[in-house]
Amino acid sequence: MHPREGWQADGTPPHPGLSRRGFLKQAAASGLVLGGAGSMLAACGGSGSGSAGSTPLTSGGIPLPRPDNPVSWPIFSSNKPIKSGLTPEKGATLKIYNWVAYVNQQVLNSFAKKYNCKVQLTTFNTMNEALAKLSSGQVNFDVFMGVTVDVLGRLVEQKMIMPLNHSYLPNITQAWTDFTNPFYDQHWQYTVPYTIYTTGIAWRKDHVPEDPYTMPNPWAMPWQPKYKGRVAILDDYREAISLGLMKNGIYNLNTTDPSQITQSQQALQTLAQQTNMKIDNNDYTEVPGGQIWIHHAWSGDIAAAQGYMQKGVPVDVVGYWFPADGKGPVANDTNTVLRTAQNPVLAHLFLDYLLDLPNVLTNISFNGYMQPIAGITPQRLVSDGILPKSLMSTVVLPSYFRRGVSELQLPIATDQLWQQAWRAVSHGI
Amino acid sequence: MTTGAGRLERQRREGGRGGGRGEPNRLFWAALAAPGIIWLAVLFLVPFYVVLAIAAGQLNQLFGTPIAAWNPLHWSAGNLTGVWHTIVGKGSFVGPDIVRTVVYTAFASGISLLIAYPAAYFVARFAGRRKALFLVLLIAPFWISYMMRMLAWIDLLQTDGYVNKTLSFLHLVSHPVNWLGGQSYTVILGLVYGYIPYLILVLYAGLDRIDASLLEAGRDLGLGRVRTFLRVTLPLSRQTIMTGLLITVLPMLGDYFTNQLLSGTTSTAMIGNDIDGDLSTPAFLGQGAVLSMLLLLALIVPMIYYVVATNRSSREASS
Repeated sequence: MHPREGWQADGTPPHPGLSRRGFLKQAAASGLVLGGAGSMLAACGGSGSGSAGSTPLTSGGIPLPRPDNPVSWPIFSSNKPIKSGLTPEKGATLKIYNWVAYVNQQVLNSFAKKYNCKVQLTTFNTMNEALAKLSSGQVNFDVFMGVTVDVLGRLVEQKMIMPLNHSYLPNITQAWTDFTNPFYDQHWQYTVPYTIYTTGIAWRKDHVPEDPYTMPNPWAMPWQPKYKGRVAILDDYREAISLGLMKNGIYNLNTTDPSQITQSQQALQTLAQQTNMKIDNNDYTEVPGGQIWIHHAWSGDIAAAQGYMQKGVPVDVVGYWFPADGKGPVANDTNTVLRTAQNPVLAHLFLDYLLDLPNVLTNISFNGYMQPIAGITPQRLVSDGILPKSLMSTVVLPSYFRRGVSELQLPIATDQLWQQAWRAVSHGI
Repeated sequence: MTTGAGRLERQRREGGRGGGRGEPNRLFWAALAAPGIIWLAVLFLVPFYVVLAIAAGQLNQLFGTPIAAWNPLHWSAGNLTGVWHTIVGKGSFVGPDIVRTVVYTAFASGISLLIAYPAAYFVARFAGRRKALFLVLLIAPFWISYMMRMLAWIDLLQTDGYVNKTLSFLHLVSHPVNWLGGQSYTVILGLVYGYIPYLILVLYAGLDRIDASLLEAGRDLGLGRVRTFLRVTLPLSRQTIMTGLLITVLPMLGDYFTNQLLSGTTSTAMIGNDIDGDLSTPAFLGQGAVLSMLLLLALIVPMIYYVVATNRSSREASS
């Protein structure tokens, strides 16, 4: 589900080693933000992103958001936005709920200083864990960060997140234009954008002579028995089943067709038999470290490869493939204000604070994931030495959100099929 | 044979029956046991019933959260049926994991015993004045968390880690061994490393308490060192070995972390991984609870055997 799954509660990555922070400090100094984006998300018709057949519905009967079916979520009379012109709560403690290691403490500290409040961060490891805790009603956080788009409908319909009052969010204008009106939340009524990333294939060029850019089906690259023990896929049911789907030539990553899901499961089980593949999210250490030669990977992780290279091995040996035409999995996370917020004004201001360019830079220096804020070009990343030229493919381009495919909310019954398929593949690993 | 003194002693232990102070004594001892009983009720029986209620309950389809069935009249066998299909039949995947768990645990326990017994025996019998130092060294691994120790092994076992470097330096391998590429032996070694300190400590405690005069008696009766060990020390440490193995086998059977860190492949998956996976997957929380219950039931078997064996041993000792 997410690049942050598996991180430790104290903020350390799942695998010890050189922290990404050190490497990315340099990035912050130079500014690691891609911008200059034009139209992107609004009503874009990313091929294959929709569902097969009729549009599936949420539990509340609302059509699930799809690029070709933008959704404007309802504003419930019992869950309205806060009024404009309110002053920030004084002497308050802003309670933030976020993925582990997904926000820079420096940003939290500076926000606390600016608004004379305390900030308390609580973390979770999986979105399922977060939803379970929030739905229990036993917690009262103000801000829910890193919300994946596929759970948004559930949060809105259960009135767990609060509609936003835009008057407190002037920095939204810094976001890539169409993130102010995304298909999954038209008119950004409940969300503001946070991070962006793609999913592709990372490989070690010094061990694997095959070049995915010249392969007829690069998604099938891991299915090579000669690399037994050197292949890994992401530990994420949506990402993994999607890999199987794309290997089979299916680019609808929200398919409701049981036979397609079963075929993907079988493809992954074949992969397990052929390569004894690992299932983990340590792509950013295992590929640079030479332990894994072909890894299903997230762009943000591989962008940090140079901080984890084996001694004496140049970063050029690491490759990251994402379809040159942009037709691959692309995703973004969002930030929200919870309905239980005791400090809703501060919560709004915090969301806005995270959209301010200097804070964005500080934040990226920690978590490594780009945010869709205007200002920086891929060329600058390379010229500043932040990103090796060989890993330019990890940059998320605005056009990807037009041409790419997204893993979006599934109907409940279909979601269970996906989970069941993944369970049979992963055995809980 | 029971002596008169033995009978008196037993009477005294049973509360001074006939002495006129039996009832108050019983209340006193019961009061002393109360905190332990409350502790057990709150931290074992209540959670146990919660797991049972979840295992026999329903699921909130929207969020994947379990709906516990507190009333036994509302219990459902749905999750149990679901788990059954994952253990046996076409497409089952938990069954092989159960077999693998038993095999890995058996190997790991055997290896642990082979390593731990001599170490504990040495400290108990031959460490002399340095006994305290050796004990500290034995306890030292506990100062670092289990997770950190396993993470350290990941670095050591890397392709360019110290283990491969050492093996290459000694010309024992021509290419680096892919230790972390889903190897059964790596998982077993991880289990051994992770749990062996517990076994050593238990064995040491037992061996250290063996009366040296019994060994001397054996020697006086003409037994050599080896036969003294085989005929005196080993039989006397049988109960200790059983206790130590129980303490290590139980967590090994439910372990998932070692496997996840040192292998991360399905070819080495254990039952703990299946439980962990279910408990972190919406729609399968109930089945995870069922698997947990089944594991618990399986673990009760060696526990019962241990209690029976201990009681038998105590009876033999007192008779």
